[in-house]
Amino acid sequence: MNKLLSLIKTDLNITFGLSSIIYSFKAKKQRWQIIVFGIAMLSLIPTYIMMIKALDTLYDSFGQMGQQSYFLLMGFLGAQLVVFFFGILNVMSKYYFSNDLNHLLPLPIKPSYILTSKFITSMVSEYITSLPIILPFIFIYGIKGREGILYWIYSLLAIVTLPILPLVLASIVIMIMMKYTNIKGKRDLIRTISGIAFIIIVLYVQLQIQKMTQRSVLQGEDFYFNIARDANLLVRKLGVVFPPSMWGALSLANYDKFIGLTNILIFVFSSVAGFFLMIFLSERIFFDGLIGNIEVSSSKGKGKKHNLEKTSSVSKPYMAIAKKELKMLFKTPVYLMNSVGGVVIGPIIIVMSMATGDVSMEPLKEVINDNMDIVNLAAIAMIGVLGMLNSIGTTTFSREGNNFWIQRTLPVKTKDQIYGRVMASMVIQVIGALVLIGSILFIIKLDMMSILLIVTIGLLASIPMTEIGMIIDILRPMLTWSNPQQAMKQNMNVLIGMGVAILYGGAIFMLISFIYGRMNIWKVYIILCTVLIISAFIFFNVLKTLIEKQFRELE
Amino acid sequence: MIKLNNISKSYNKGNIKAVDDINLEIKSGEIFGFLGPNGAGKTTTIKMIVGLLKPDEGNITLDGVDVWGDSLKAKSMISYVPDNPEIYDRLNGIEYLNFIADMYEISKEERKEKIEYYSKLFNIEDSLGDIISSFSHGMKQKLVLTSALINNPNLFILDEPMVGLDPKSSFNLKEIMRKMCDEGKTVFFSTHVMEVAEKLCDRIAIINKGKIIAYGTMDELRAHAKERESLENIFLELTEDE
Repeated sequence: MNKLLSLIKTDLNITFGLSSIIYSFKAKKQRWQIIVFGIAMLSLIPTYIMMIKALDTLYDSFGQMGQQSYFLLMGFLGAQLVVFFFGILNVMSKYYFSNDLNHLLPLPIKPSYILTSKFITSMVSEYITSLPIILPFIFIYGIKGREGILYWIYSLLAIVTLPILPLVLASIVIMIMMKYTNIKGKRDLIRTISGIAFIIIVLYVQLQIQKMTQRSVLQGEDFYFNIARDANLLVRKLGVVFPPSMWGALSLANYDKFIGLTNILIFVFSSVAGFFLMIFLSERIFFDGLIGNIEVSSSKGKGKKHNLEKTSSVSKPYMAIAKKELKMLFKTPVYLMNSVGGVVIGPIIIVMSMATGDVSMEPLKEVINDNMDIVNLAAIAMIGVLGMLNSIGTTTFSREGNNFWIQRTLPVKTKDQIYGRVMASMVIQVIGALVLIGSILFIIKLDMMSILLIVTIGLLASIPMTEIGMIIDILRPMLTWSNPQQAMKQNMNVLIGMGVAILYGGAIFMLISFIYGRMNIWKVYIILCTVLIISAFIFFNVLKTLIEKQFRELE
Repeated sequence: MIKLNNISKSYNKGNIKAVDDINLEIKSGEIFGFLGPNGAGKTTTIKMIVGLLKPDEGNITLDGVDVWGDSLKAKSMISYVPDNPEIYDRLNGIEYLNFIADMYEISKEERKEKIEYYSKLFNIEDSLGDIISSFSHGMKQKLVLTSALINNPNLFILDEPMVGLDPKSSFNLKEIMRKMCDEGKTVFFSTHVMEVAEKLCDRIAIINKGKIIAYGTMDELRAHAKERESLENIFLELTEDE
């Protein structure tokens, strides 16, 4: 047991860098960075408040139908599904690709111990994702409905247990997948692609089930009669998408009845049982997927012949940097999942959820068809957002890690450093733009002109976004990491980048909404392009100065 | 070739003086050995020469070029091999070598010739198609050495280059160093292996606690020491705690 506690403690410390956070709080130099981070986070608050207000209205509309419990189901479903999807990415990199495994495997520890410690740190990270989603639902329901003390006790239990089952499911799925994709050769690529494909398939199936159940509920003749008779009707019918969410919603909505007690018990018990099932499975299959993973580092490089004539191609320095960046991105599963996975899954989720929506989408589609410019502008904005979400700019120097000395001792012009790294981000953005266009085409028709505008201006918008990321990353590169996951997923620069991107994007959004409708649409596009080009130019120069300074002074 | 003028560097807000007012001059065509116990300031000095650390005081010039003033020009003269071969382990060997060659803008013919020659010499030519993470420490070291020699540097700076090398590669590396000096190039390296320093170096500097405590040819060093037989004895005598 002591071993397990020590493993958990160490893993928490490594993952959340408790020691280094305490250290950095003490350092004066880092204080202003924390302030910038604070401002970036504060800038998210207005959006969050808007969302809470919308939820408040939603509660009222369900209240009119007497189906408030469905409101809770939405909260549970939303939070648990998000935990599941993030869990897939998190579990894969944490269980199978972190460097500490090389040190842990030779130690006399049971696989279930390693897994438990990693599961618990993942749980802690998932609370950061699940709490902002579920809390507004719990509070709005509890406060507006003036619920009793037992409601709050049940809520606390439900909130604590909420991430367990989705994370257990993600762990089991990944363990099985890793066992059967343990194929020599392009193992990493196969796994990353299957991971992304799996998420897309689950998402699609889930939305289809939702659509079907929605129809079956709404189409019944005695729908209104039933709805008046059973306050939990919607939850029972629609909760089949993910039963644990249904149990959670039913327990809170009926906390004062016996059915509430049984449901909270089922909710908690199933989570605990799921956890033990996972531990049981881990003893059998965890190492099967893992051992082959480490095998790579002991192949001693015998064999693979290469042809010097073919392989020694000459590239310009900036091209070589871009190529190196892309190779490293594509060959490191964690990077691939986060950057390419992000730009592929992001657009699909948004567009798919619109496409599988019910009838209420039809009028919206008509409105959209009449205002193609709005579609174009929204798509451009989305590509711009992906430019930050792909995390390539915000981690470009951090990802160098221990290898940063190479870049600093090479005679490379600063502008080549910038061109190369921005180009790498652009290649990923092209993938994102294509997926986005493809997804939009599922819902509405786009003419050639729109596609051209979206792709060109969207990519143009990605340049300043990537540059903003790079500015943040060169100011505070995270160079000491033992696990590539840390450079991308636990890098504060990614979050700070998003905060700054919201400020920058928000300013452009305000400008465009101000001029939109007041002038010819082509003038709007020209102004937008001018703003993007000027800011890209300004950021380029800031970046140039900063890179020169930091390459000289970093220690 | 290399000139260090009153170089100082401290860590931890000046509490730890890693390098304390060092002056060194290394001539072209010279193999210069840099010796000292662990933590004496060898790596710090080397990192300052190659531009990885900025000195608190003093300046460093390479053939008259200020390392911090015209860093691009200075870097294009140097090839540096660090003590720990941390390189992009997700690339394969040839990808890494090509990347470095691109950075030094080396033509296709030249890089092909150099890669062929050095990879054969260090016996890694069959592994160049493999991912670097599968390399052993010594193989990585050989790959870094190959990459450092592609651009035919005027100034070759190595931090503990013999660590992890097998005897044959170690011998070959010494041959390469000698040959470079015969061509008028400069080699500056740190080492713990006294024998290597004694046999190979034209001149030697011994650093201890951030200060140069001895500096000159083997004969000059001998003249200053009581125990005059081997460099090892001189080293032990000089670095002994007072």
